[in-house]
Amino acid sequence: MNIKKTGNTLLFLLPILLVLGLSSCKHTDLEIDKPNENFRPAGDFVKNNYDLSLFSAAMEKAGFTQKLNGTGPFTILAPSNEAFNLIGITRPSDFDKMNPDSLKFLVGSHILDRRLLSQDIPVNGIDIRYHTLAETEVYTSVFSGAEDPMIFFNGSYVSRLNVKIANGNLFVLKRVMKSSAKTTVQSWLAARPQYSIFVSALKKFGYWDELTSEGPYTIFAPKNEVFEANGLTAEVIAGLKPDRYIRSRLVGCYVFRKKHFFVSDFYVLTQINNDGGYGGFIEDDTYFMTIGANAGLYYKGNSSYSIYVRTAKNYPYDPVGSAGCDVPAGIDNLTDNGIVQDLKGLLVLPEQAYKNN
Amino acid sequence: MMLNLKIKNTLLSASAALLFFVTGCSKVEYKKIDDPAYLRVFNNLNYKIGTDNKDEMLPFLTMLIDPEMGQDGIPLNASVKGDFLDQREPYAPPYPSHVGSGTTKNNPEYPGRENVLVGPVLNGYDLSSWAQIPSGKHRIVFMFRPKNQVPFFDLETKLKKNVLIDTTIVLDSKEVYTLHVLQKDYRTKKNGIYLRKENFQKLPLSDSLVYVNFYNMSSKGYWQADNDAKGASAFGMGALGGGLRDEMNIFLSLYKNASPLPSGRIPGYGGKYLTTLKRNSEVLEVSPYFSFPLFADGSSNGIRTEMWQRFDFFAPGMDLTNNPYGMNSPNTDNNWASLNCFMAGKTPQPGMENTVNLPNMVVNIHSGIYNPRSFATVNTIEIVNGRAYLTTIQRKYAPPVY
Repeated sequence: MNIKKTGNTLLFLLPILLVLGLSSCKHTDLEIDKPNENFRPAGDFVKNNYDLSLFSAAMEKAGFTQKLNGTGPFTILAPSNEAFNLIGITRPSDFDKMNPDSLKFLVGSHILDRRLLSQDIPVNGIDIRYHTLAETEVYTSVFSGAEDPMIFFNGSYVSRLNVKIANGNLFVLKRVMKSSAKTTVQSWLAARPQYSIFVSALKKFGYWDELTSEGPYTIFAPKNEVFEANGLTAEVIAGLKPDRYIRSRLVGCYVFRKKHFFVSDFYVLTQINNDGGYGGFIEDDTYFMTIGANAGLYYKGNSSYSIYVRTAKNYPYDPVGSAGCDVPAGIDNLTDNGIVQDLKGLLVLPEQAYKNN
Repeated sequence: MMLNLKIKNTLLSASAALLFFVTGCSKVEYKKIDDPAYLRVFNNLNYKIGTDNKDEMLPFLTMLIDPEMGQDGIPLNASVKGDFLDQREPYAPPYPSHVGSGTTKNNPEYPGRENVLVGPVLNGYDLSSWAQIPSGKHRIVFMFRPKNQVPFFDLETKLKKNVLIDTTIVLDSKEVYTLHVLQKDYRTKKNGIYLRKENFQKLPLSDSLVYVNFYNMSSKGYWQADNDAKGASAFGMGALGGGLRDEMNIFLSLYKNASPLPSGRIPGYGGKYLTTLKRNSEVLEVSPYFSFPLFADGSSNGIRTEMWQRFDFFAPGMDLTNNPYGMNSPNTDNNWASLNCFMAGKTPQPGMENTVNLPNMVVNIHSGIYNPRSFATVNTIEIVNGRAYLTTIQRKYAPPVY
């Protein structure tokens, strides 16, 4: 009886012993490749990237580096050094010449206060807006049909997508997004003497005053040298008699009301639904104008556009004028109520806009 | 003894389970609307995003009935909400085809995907595509909303301000209504609504005849407008894309089988004049129904027919015999447009390239011992700004026997 009981107890203990025995086995350390947790935060990442050294200098000077090494999340839309070169900034010291507030706005408007991956942007989205640290909104358009989506922030092509950083994400831009704080298309033009003849024409033909309103406007603005090359000096413009001309044709063709065109928009919409080329009558006129543009990958991110004016929509018609711009520094100047695009030619000359007697 | 214990145990656990079930019961509160009217809503505003209109607001809408407006005219709540109201689909089938299908929230009609109380079978017609709305006078507001998946009242404040239409409607008890959001004037882009009190459920319609009526609810000035500007040449729009003239004659042709050749037309139905269609987006009267026999094809067996329908819209003075335009040219100077109601509306007929395709009006479905069996329906064809829409209403039919 006693032996049986002892045996029973042993039998009962056996599995426990077995478990103990097994668990006492020596484990060799199991080595698993740990995922790298040492992604640098945004500030350091930009600083350590040679191609972003100018943006890093701008960040440093505008006092953003500390903040960008914080928890975030952030999305950095970082213009490459080449992009800064396009607007004449080649050395970090060039930022010293800038107004500190403008620089702060410039850097802040290139940083989103969220983590945005390319796949977060709605497929084939147009004018999706994201909030920036400068309290502005960035217009985002994307053509998703390419192998990598072609993304444009405020018309600037993204040449490198989704560089992941510890506290967010980074896109490299082909061009600096040119926006200015608290400006209208009117104040933007007024502040630039190279457009003074165009401004005087807008004033003379009654387009100037409305340019402070909500808009949005897209203004195609020829510089003084363009007017002068066509023999239209400031004196000649001053001498024009507005009642002798069809004002919408002569001056109105440069002012698009309730339209908001980045150069890339024409390209993106052409890719998405083949409806990108603009074609429409000049307001209150029989003359017809078309706009087309190139942008994106196949053009290496270089945007350019051209405008054609003709005497009628359908054939037979005569061409009236054409002009465009392919200089990155001149296009996509964003203000609070619209966009100004530099135009390297005149569309309609005064003698083409005479009223018929 | 052991067995007894087992039974006891089982009993005990069973009674515990029973207790669970009993306490788990709760009273189901059935929603009920007293004196309902039946309402179906379509958004007839079409859009295609291009450079020209990307800065305009998309007609992607939220319908609010009896909204409670807060300060600054921002709606806080509404007794009925139809959210994500997208442009309508060409075919509104006789059964509720949207609820529970698809992953998108975009709703091609109201109630559509909305899980609301719907209409009963009224006088034999299945009204499950109509929502129940309390009868009486209602304020109805259509708001623009951004095209995303966020419910209207969760949107940011600045996105809840854009009113498309704010008006009142009166709905009578137990009546059937279709409500359309329409563009009234092409040039001024003025929008409005169009509320039609349907009468098909009151008419003595035969179930051996197929009925159809027509509306041209296009906006004023649409057909005169520039073809490129209104997107008339888009693929699939056919000759109708440019719009119908304000007054057009309608001719019906019935075809025996899939062959589109003139020899396939059923005798007596080769371009039969039906009616004159006038553009009308204001007067809310029901157009008269026209009919043709379900088994117009004498060689069919009286159970099933392959017959399909074609409607030609001609400017006054023209008909099938003096039509100068080619069958594949979309440029008909608004003098001629045609519709084929063939198969599921996805199959173009060879040699009829400028035709708009809609589903067959005859419904073929397994019923009783017949698979399929052909059923007559009551149809409405609506032409809105270069597009054609078919709404089909069907009677209840015998379930299939397998």
